[in-house]
Amino acid sequence: MKLKRTLLLGALLLVSVLILSACTGIAPQAAAPSAGGEQVAAGEPVTITWAFWGSPEEAASHKIVADAFMAEHPEIKIEIWNQPWNDYFTKIQALWASGDSKVIPDVAFLWPTPRYAAEGVLENLDPFIEASGYDLNDYWPGLLESAKYEGSVYGFPRDIEVNVIYYNKDMFDAAGVAYPTDDWTWDDFLAAAEALTQKDANGMTTVYALAAEGGKWAKWVNQNNGAILDDYVNPSKCMLTDPASVGGVQFFADLMDQGYAMRPADLSQAGGDAAVFSSGQAAMILQNTSRVSAFNAAGMNYDVVPPPIPADGKRHNGAGGAAWVMSSGSDNKDAAWTFIQWLQSDGGGETIYTERGEIFPALQSVANSPAFMTDQPPANKQGIITEAAASDVGNFGYFPEWGELDGSIIGPGLEKIWAGEIDPETGLADICAQVDQFLADNGYPK
Amino acid sequence: MTPLSPSHRPFRWRPDQQWEGYLFILPSFAGFLVFIVLAVVMSLGISFSEWGLTGFKNFAGLLNYRQLLRDPVFWQTFWNTAFYIVTIVPLQLALGLIMAVGLNQAIRGVTVYRLIYFMPVVTTIVAGAIVFRLLLATNGPVNNLLAAAFGLLGLPFSAPNWLGSSDFSKWSVVILTLWKNTGFTMVVYLAALQGVPKELYDAAHTDGANAWQRFRNVTLPLISPTTFFLFIFQMIGAFQLFTEPFVMTSGGPANSSLSVVQYIYLAAFRDIRMDKAAAMAWVLFIFIFAFTLFQNRMQKRWVHYESE
Repeated sequence: MKLKRTLLLGALLLVSVLILSACTGIAPQAAAPSAGGEQVAAGEPVTITWAFWGSPEEAASHKIVADAFMAEHPEIKIEIWNQPWNDYFTKIQALWASGDSKVIPDVAFLWPTPRYAAEGVLENLDPFIEASGYDLNDYWPGLLESAKYEGSVYGFPRDIEVNVIYYNKDMFDAAGVAYPTDDWTWDDFLAAAEALTQKDANGMTTVYALAAEGGKWAKWVNQNNGAILDDYVNPSKCMLTDPASVGGVQFFADLMDQGYAMRPADLSQAGGDAAVFSSGQAAMILQNTSRVSAFNAAGMNYDVVPPPIPADGKRHNGAGGAAWVMSSGSDNKDAAWTFIQWLQSDGGGETIYTERGEIFPALQSVANSPAFMTDQPPANKQGIITEAAASDVGNFGYFPEWGELDGSIIGPGLEKIWAGEIDPETGLADICAQVDQFLADNGYPK
Repeated sequence: MTPLSPSHRPFRWRPDQQWEGYLFILPSFAGFLVFIVLAVVMSLGISFSEWGLTGFKNFAGLLNYRQLLRDPVFWQTFWNTAFYIVTIVPLQLALGLIMAVGLNQAIRGVTVYRLIYFMPVVTTIVAGAIVFRLLLATNGPVNNLLAAAFGLLGLPFSAPNWLGSSDFSKWSVVILTLWKNTGFTMVVYLAALQGVPKELYDAAHTDGANAWQRFRNVTLPLISPTTFFLFIFQMIGAFQLFTEPFVMTSGGPANSSLSVVQYIYLAAFRDIRMDKAAAMAWVLFIFIFAFTLFQNRMQKRWVHYESE
């Protein structure tokens, strides 16, 4: 009896101690074997953890890339850490916050890079680039800016978002509208839009000329020589009240008011641009190259063309893409660099992703290689390259607070305009007042 | 009187055994300390610091709170949340009570009806939201029904954009929340109604009270403690609304349906502003605490306890 009680109490004590120790953090373990640098016994591969988000299909491509790398580099073993997009950021934040190099991924897929670089969890890649002579000139113009922080490179964008117009050839034929050419203008677009739009007796649009996500708006502004901010790294003021910027927003808003373009809220209710384009509810969409494989699989009769530009405007593609980054807490930085460099090379990861139709490559050499220039639709691949060559900053701010500024102020402010609840001039004035206040509160310009 | 056998001895507190008791609660108390107490204390500390992904950067004093006061989005989310409270709480109480009174009658298949009305409470909210998004689409069934009704009455009708306009987006969240939660209110009210003594109705009936008077003067006062509980419970729930706007409208358009808790989440995980998020959480706590305290004081005016 007495023994039993002692046993019971002992067990309780043990459980409590276990719980306590589990809660107060992992006890410091023996010094990491790599503490003295990168000394690894010959023949034993270094393991690096590779983090990315993505669907099972995307993960399959990543797996192929990892296998190809390990075949070339038997001295490095890649361990995959894959999460769905919804959970990826909260979970990877938790890993970094732990500060434990055992769990921190060595190489990760990330957006937006400057936000995390400012938190000190990313490795400055400048020394590695310098030591290895890695060529930065192969990237599309302006693209690397999205992965820089305080002038240094903290990541390499895997792909570049190139937004082009997809058009349904059958619908153009039915409406008797000639296919667009690479040098078409806003006026040409409006003429085509009027012919392609179908309305019912009440004037409600039944078939739209264009379906474009609200998030694509910055293209119109930049094409019209407008801008969001005076400086995208160290801004001092909002430029959206500039007449050129208002003109760009007005163009998009007018398309909706005239019933030519679907309002973004209706578009998302209808299941997104791929759905309405496939079902013939919209003759054109403005989207990046990610839709190609789905439309090809569905056997659609379509092609792509660079977006139209205003008469006295310019071609512009906002340069940005999620990037491969290295953790500053990594224990195997040299191996991580070897991997990143291979990922971002012609013949390496870039080529495999491009061949599998996952990306439009960040490297110009890969875009101009057979990996991209296939005989698969769309026929006008040169049109995509034309638009990509006009890449530049202008769609995003490259400072840590941009996500908050865009997510809380600019994006919601524009939603009011797209919903037709406020005219562009008034709406943009409201946005700019709040943006300027936000910049001042956060100490910009620095 | 026979003495009780040792095994039936009433429990007696023995000071020398006190530590054993503490040992027994230690596992759960440790969890409570770390995951509740420590978290609460830390969040207070974080709200007065500059705190990023990797932890403490600087002591910030009241900076985070001052920034909040100037943040128009924060005030908009507070206004949105106030809207949710003043619509959801009374509507849920009223609808729940009506349903409970209806289902407290002797009708055939009453259990089936109770089951049906309670079903949404145990349904996944995301699945519910998907269905409601379809129902409330601009050219969806709800608008078609409304158009037909207005047409019958010969009134002009312009279809509301439930999810895509800042005038209606809050209402679509309210509708989803009511659908989801009213069943719970109903069940609690049902239990309260069944606790009202039948003699009181008989007495009122003898005194010549009609059905409405019996409801007004017998039922309502006797279930007022339940109403009070539901009121506080739902008010706190409405203050903390997150999933409903998150799945229904993602807070849009133009932040028009964004709730305070959603904004806390965005600040923490989108903007990596743990400090600002912690400050918002404390402001929210102060509001909830003050409101609950106020209600507690006010309850003497309208809550009737039988024992008094």
